[in-house]
Amino acid sequence: MSTKHTKAADLFIENKEQQVWHNKTLHFVRDKRDKMAMQLPEWEVLRETAHKIKMHTITHLDHYLDLFSTRAEANGIQVHWAKDAEEHNQIVYEILQSHKVRKLVKSKSMLAEECHLNPYLIDKGINVVESDLGERILQLLNEPPSHIVMPAIHLKRQEVGKLFEEKLHTEKDNSDPTYLTRAARAHLREEFLTADAAMTGANFGVAETGDIVVCTNEGNADMGTALPPLHIVTMGMEKVIPNLQSLSVFIRLLARSATGQPVTAYTSHYRKPREGCEMHLVIVDNGRSEALSNEDHIQTLKCIRCGACMNTCPVYRRSGGYSYTYFIPGPIGINLGMLHAPKEYYDNLSACSLCYSCNNVCPVKIDLADQIYKWRQNLDSFGKADPMKKVMSEGMKFMFERPALFRTGLKMAPIVNHMPRPLIYNGLNDWGKGRELPQFASESFAALWKKGKVSAANQKRSNHEQ
Amino acid sequence: MKIGLFIPCYVNAVYPEVGVATYKLLDYLGLDVDYPLEQTCCGQPMANAGFEDKAIHLAEQFDHIFDAYDYVVGPSASCVAFVREHHPDLLKKEGHVCRTSSKTYDICEFLHDIVKVDKLPGRFPHKVSVHNSCHGVRELHLSSASELNIPPFSKVKDLLSLMEGIELFEPAYVDECCGFGGMFSVEEPSVSVCMGQDKLRNHIQTGAEYITGADSSCLMHMQGVAKRENLPIKFIHVTQILASGL
Amino acid sequence: MSNKAAIINRVKQQIRTQYDMPVLPIKGIEYADKIAQFKETLRAVGGEAVELKQGEDLDTVISLHYPEAKTIASNLEDTTLATISPDNVNSAHDLKNIDLAIVRGEIGVAENACVWVPQLMKERVICFISEYLVILLDKNSVVNNMHEAYEQINFHDSCFGVFISGPSKTADIEQALVVGAHGPKGVLVILL
Repeated sequence: MSTKHTKAADLFIENKEQQVWHNKTLHFVRDKRDKMAMQLPEWEVLRETAHKIKMHTITHLDHYLDLFSTRAEANGIQVHWAKDAEEHNQIVYEILQSHKVRKLVKSKSMLAEECHLNPYLIDKGINVVESDLGERILQLLNEPPSHIVMPAIHLKRQEVGKLFEEKLHTEKDNSDPTYLTRAARAHLREEFLTADAAMTGANFGVAETGDIVVCTNEGNADMGTALPPLHIVTMGMEKVIPNLQSLSVFIRLLARSATGQPVTAYTSHYRKPREGCEMHLVIVDNGRSEALSNEDHIQTLKCIRCGACMNTCPVYRRSGGYSYTYFIPGPIGINLGMLHAPKEYYDNLSACSLCYSCNNVCPVKIDLADQIYKWRQNLDSFGKADPMKKVMSEGMKFMFERPALFRTGLKMAPIVNHMPRPLIYNGLNDWGKGRELPQFASESFAALWKKGKVSAANQKRSNHEQ
Repeated sequence: MKIGLFIPCYVNAVYPEVGVATYKLLDYLGLDVDYPLEQTCCGQPMANAGFEDKAIHLAEQFDHIFDAYDYVVGPSASCVAFVREHHPDLLKKEGHVCRTSSKTYDICEFLHDIVKVDKLPGRFPHKVSVHNSCHGVRELHLSSASELNIPPFSKVKDLLSLMEGIELFEPAYVDECCGFGGMFSVEEPSVSVCMGQDKLRNHIQTGAEYITGADSSCLMHMQGVAKRENLPIKFIHVTQILASGL
Repeated sequence: MSNKAAIINRVKQQIRTQYDMPVLPIKGIEYADKIAQFKETLRAVGGEAVELKQGEDLDTVISLHYPEAKTIASNLEDTTLATISPDNVNSAHDLKNIDLAIVRGEIGVAENACVWVPQLMKERVICFISEYLVILLDKNSVVNNMHEAYEQINFHDSCFGVFISGPSKTADIEQALVVGAHGPKGVLVILL
């Protein structure tokens, strides 16, 4: 009984020191988030309002997409529409080609990851430079992100130091974060100054004004877009919100939930192209419209990609981002993966103890755990249910539906207590890995009740009191 | 007021003394308590594992068995939460209206909210660390969840405070999961055991002699880990403390 | 390639239950002393705020804070320190070696130390490429929270506007906070 997640988690946990650090560090981010949430008396009102705005917007998405794109076009932005990842990549490439772009600086975009844009462009000869520090580290390592907000959270400073020594010629054995960040700053400054185009994702698209809003701490999106003559924005269609009033609700929630900051250092509003420059916007569906009709899972479309559900998830913190098979890990990743391709990503469903903490930290109140529960119910229908779990569930059903058999079972159970250890604690007993089995009582509650021993316990007291 | 005692399957088999303590409390408070013998399991283990269909008949069975009572009360927050949150949906699939889910209570919330117990006899002069279980906290709202910005409360601590001499503690990461999660514990044993070890460490660091909680399943999981590692901590269900002077 | 009509139609067909928009704005946190809160929050995010006292000279205050700044970019008439103007360059790239940029902010936000800076200059890159950033802000324009801020923001018909809260920063290496990732290593807000 194990999934790809189980096996990958085993490996992650084997490196105890790293696992402990990962758990502690991400919980510290959760603590910072809590501190921020507790400072605002209106926190729960904000979450509820954010949830309602998103539910309203995604269920009137045709209207808001029309309004948003019309406003953006009126502002001089060229709008493109992509039904899937392939179209998205083609559109981006065609824009780059028409401007003879050789070097593209990118700021972090989960949509670009979703569409596998980088390999596509690199294959066609474009020099793609990730400019977020964490993303740049991973690009140099040729690794994917392990967290959507803190992409390199699984790496230790020494690993980054070694990488920079090799790629950026930093001092040997210097792994001081400030030193390494300064080295990356100098290196990326050159890339910014020599780029032909910049690309960003979008945290929000404001329908009323056509604004594209990008939130970063490093200032990489701003630096990137302020220099070259071309800026391409790609955004998932669910990122549209009605107006600036709504935006204020999300901006107040986003960074507090994501990193425990009151806001990101930069909340940038792109309204029109820079003077003499071009700005293109690619609006992407890639399965999102389909999710609209799925009432069990429509709420995933509310996600603002803050990563709070990962930081609180007791499983994610102890198994790491790479233990999941979808590129977005943690509770939201489990659900997005299933929505995207259930037969491919069902392995992640085991990574949840149904503790519901994710539901409570989510700034837009996505019913993350409830959805995982629901996905589990579907596994059997497409032949991906774990056979062992199925047999166990069938066995329980058989016994529990027969009260007399159940009571016989209760009577027999204590025999297990006296079985020889090797018979119980062997490779087949997953409970026995790290835990002793509970001891069955010599007399079950049902047996005690039947014999009148339960009420007798109290009778004794009553007599005594008299 | 007629109470149907709901003793979940594993409490029945492993912790009958928790059932006895629950009965004692309700009986002491002058309530008419009955234990319908035909009850077995609420169906949660199969449903959480992804086999809700195999729990439907059990939900029907449950609804039928407990229909006649004014309240259904059980000493396991997680099982009660399953009845409350999931039985109506399960029965809807069969075209039935669930009659019992809204009158099913965890013993702690029943004592706190319905009976409104404000004194109990007995002393429990021990250091006790309270285990805030996931479903107790986040589904039944036995205490304020650490993630939410709401006024802090704990029905479990309120009740335990009625005992003379008791010293209450709570672990760091006050309501983090202990790693049980039903079949999660055997499907993801490494993560589950790791969570159990971390949880125990946090409980033990409070200096408590006992870990207590409203969920025997979490206690069972932590007890399994503690026993394997010979950790110096004892386990006791809330009802056992509350009934200790009866 | 897909077009707008096809995608919007598809979206329309997929929508089932529709939900209402909640009533906005909601009431946000308010502070007894907004300016004190703004200063405290700015300090917490790695920046600094000072009030220009009566009789104090703006240029002197800036020079005292940044004595080593040689190349200073600004198009503001409030200061004579500027050595280069973002309005008079052929290319944004000409602004690459700037020690200090001085810009005007229009709204300060007490809850998160944001300052609204609309692009009232030809090349906005100075806000990001400069080693340090000074933002001039009328202290009467400090509001409590983002709800109030978004009620007031003005783009002045420009192409871009940004809320800046303290210096550029990153924690991408082991969650260790480093101030000065790509943008300014320090931000000084001068309250006028």
